[in-house]
Amino acid sequence: MDAEHSEICDFVFAHHPFDRLPKEKWAEVVKSLSLEYQRRGSTVLEPGASNTALHVIRSGAVEIRDAQGAVLAQLGEGDVFGARSLLRGGKVKHSVTMLEDTLLYQLPGEVFSSLCQRYPQFAYYFQAEGGQRLRDALNGNFGPGEANAELATIPITKMLQRAAVMLPSSASIANAAQAMTAQRVSCILVVDNGQLIGILTDRDIRSRGVAVGVSVDQPITSIMTPTPHSIASNVYAFDAMLAMVRHNVHHLPVLDHGRPVGVISATDLMRQRTASPVFLVSDIDKQTDVEGLARVSAQLPKILVSMVDADATAHSTAKIISAIGEALTCRLLDLAQEKLGPPPVPFVWLTAGSLARYEQTAHSDQDNALLLDDAFDPDLHGAYFEQLSRLVCDGLNACGYVYCPGNVMASNTQWRQPLRVWKRYFNEWIGSPEPKALMHVSIFFDLRCLYGAEPLYQQLQLHVTHKTASNHIFLAYMAANALHYHPPLGFFRNLVLVRGGEHDQTLDLKHRGVIPIVDLARVYALSSGSADITTQDRLAAVAGKGELSAQGAEDLRDAFEFISVTRLRHQARRIKSGQIADNFMAPSELSNFEREHLKDAFRVVLTLQAALEQRYQSGRFQ
Amino acid sequence: MFKWLPGLERRRRRLLRNAPPGPLADYLRTPFPSRKSPVNEVEFLAVDLETTGLDPKQDEILSIGCVPIRHLRITLGGSSSMLLKPEGAIPASSAVVHRIFDDQAAQGMPLTQAIPLLLRQLSGKVLVAHHAPIETEFLRQACRRLYACDVVFPTVDTLVLERRWIDRRQVTLASGGLRLAAIRDRYGLPRYPVHNALSDALATAELLLAQIAYRGGARQVRLKHLLI
Repeated sequence: MDAEHSEICDFVFAHHPFDRLPKEKWAEVVKSLSLEYQRRGSTVLEPGASNTALHVIRSGAVEIRDAQGAVLAQLGEGDVFGARSLLRGGKVKHSVTMLEDTLLYQLPGEVFSSLCQRYPQFAYYFQAEGGQRLRDALNGNFGPGEANAELATIPITKMLQRAAVMLPSSASIANAAQAMTAQRVSCILVVDNGQLIGILTDRDIRSRGVAVGVSVDQPITSIMTPTPHSIASNVYAFDAMLAMVRHNVHHLPVLDHGRPVGVISATDLMRQRTASPVFLVSDIDKQTDVEGLARVSAQLPKILVSMVDADATAHSTAKIISAIGEALTCRLLDLAQEKLGPPPVPFVWLTAGSLARYEQTAHSDQDNALLLDDAFDPDLHGAYFEQLSRLVCDGLNACGYVYCPGNVMASNTQWRQPLRVWKRYFNEWIGSPEPKALMHVSIFFDLRCLYGAEPLYQQLQLHVTHKTASNHIFLAYMAANALHYHPPLGFFRNLVLVRGGEHDQTLDLKHRGVIPIVDLARVYALSSGSADITTQDRLAAVAGKGELSAQGAEDLRDAFEFISVTRLRHQARRIKSGQIADNFMAPSELSNFEREHLKDAFRVVLTLQAALEQRYQSGRFQ
Repeated sequence: MFKWLPGLERRRRRLLRNAPPGPLADYLRTPFPSRKSPVNEVEFLAVDLETTGLDPKQDEILSIGCVPIRHLRITLGGSSSMLLKPEGAIPASSAVVHRIFDDQAAQGMPLTQAIPLLLRQLSGKVLVAHHAPIETEFLRQACRRLYACDVVFPTVDTLVLERRWIDRRQVTLASGGLRLAAIRDRYGLPRYPVHNALSDALATAELLLAQIAYRGGARQVRLKHLLI
């Protein structure tokens, strides 16, 4: 006599969060359901009314609008609504109107609350704040992918295979070779009185010793690398990898309070399947022409895929990819100077945009500029720097970092200027901001010295920080600029729902995903006088300081990471299928898990944008 | 047409006089809903039967699915599904359709047990079916056999409703256009992959809600607009 509604079970319990309920509960839930058919245009909930049920859309579609009539969401098959009003005692705030003829399943409010009480995993879905859900998603297993320990979470000490093999500086090359053979290691640390003074690899013995006829009786100091790059023992595998990529080394001594405790090698990283960036960077340094560099650079998409496959965080991946971009630029500058001779006056190669923020993914456009010493004389030195810039910009283009469409490149005279002119530029941007300047502002306020005379750059940086922090008008302009791009409201079937109720076919993960957060972080950082450049650092630096609550900063950082990972995964999928890595993702590519958490991430950004907008409009932004 | 429901009501009373005490008499004792009632005040029961064939005189009922509608809402808590044990073997030709086989049917309840349960559910309600003659004729035949007395149901046939509407609008339909799934499709109702008495009863109940919504809902539709 009992009715088993398989067609209803199959639907309801395939959808989140009903899929979180145990199977023995299904029959009871189904029994409590009632069904209603609503024609297109009819309204089931209105502000002020009382809602008594959780509504599940079985077929059709609905639109949710706020009391002012702005579209908040469009929902389709399998989506639910009415939970928020139930959670606040039934009071309806938004109107719900049928976009299509719709069949609704209704779960009575009492059943809903008892399910929420008994099943936290069910209740979780309906929490008003998405921040915590995002955090859990990031901390837990990111989606159904294989659970691979992430480089950023493996302590370096866990990767040390054995204690370091150490010799005093008085040891001979022969001693070192014997020790390496006996201990089966490829590298020894040269240590005097507990202090690391050098590192010697088997390769050094070969290339700096035997190959050039140095006697094996000579002390190891004659062929070792003195004062090598090292890392502290309390860092993570990722830091080791980044250090190897940055310094182009394959062995890193690990120091515990200055005392050598081991050596981490690129081979150790290889066990984590992600050593390739280290080898790529050493390849870069071996190249002697642009063609060679372009060949190496073509490996970049593969690196991205391997990082994504190893479940690296977006933060780690972008840092590595950016470090490779950096290495390429440095090598191009070295090659250019080999060709043109030493620079006539000190210079700084400035990098702007995503590379400056260490947030590059696949090959991006190049954004760069040249900062010259004030001794620069266009008549005398102009030709040199023009050639230098052209060689590097052309080289970058050949390596896949295509010319900047806005011509923000050192090869453009406007962006190849001495310090005094740069100061004047910034004075203009800060002092009389206008819409056209703002495009440059968002590029040049993410600025970093990539190569060259660091002190020269510091002068500029000091000038800029000093000028911006207290300039309210400029900050208000920046705030307005940060509200230029908005994340979508959500998804509607396989479409992206954007402000005003329009639909996009694809989700632009750059402009509707990461850029709104990057822009917010920049405004917060500038207003608090922070000189940090990466979005994560900026948000960490400003957390809890006036503009942004600690909670808001944490939510925003998680939103940034989640959106960035989604973007990287999309790019990795594209690369694997032989396509160009782009930023346009069809909603059908998203798993339910990703969809739900992306919506949470968007909500975090929209909320903080709204807060900024309010402050900005009411003139309270400072 | 005009006098139909009073006719129906008259018939109910006359049959009640002949019915032996028991489930059928109990059913017939409850007055039918008024023809003039707005549809949201009427209780409906969508019924679907799976049978061994199409001839009520020879074929048998294998299962009965019921889904109630109250205040223009389907309440799943009130739905039911019964499996019946036929007296004869199930012909292979019908088993292909309803997928009920002999050993499964052997677990079912006898007709003598099922019909009282159904009559109790139908009491005071309007029977809804898609192509209702199958349901009503099989049920009449069952009552005649069990109680030696006929029965009458106020009935809404979703197929007849749809045809009436189509005739009025002079729309031409492709063949098969009046099948339950095809009509549901036109109302944007989901496709149900499984076919059994319960699922078809639910499909019929949903269709009736859609048809009522399209005819103006509770404000404009009265029971008399729906009855056969």
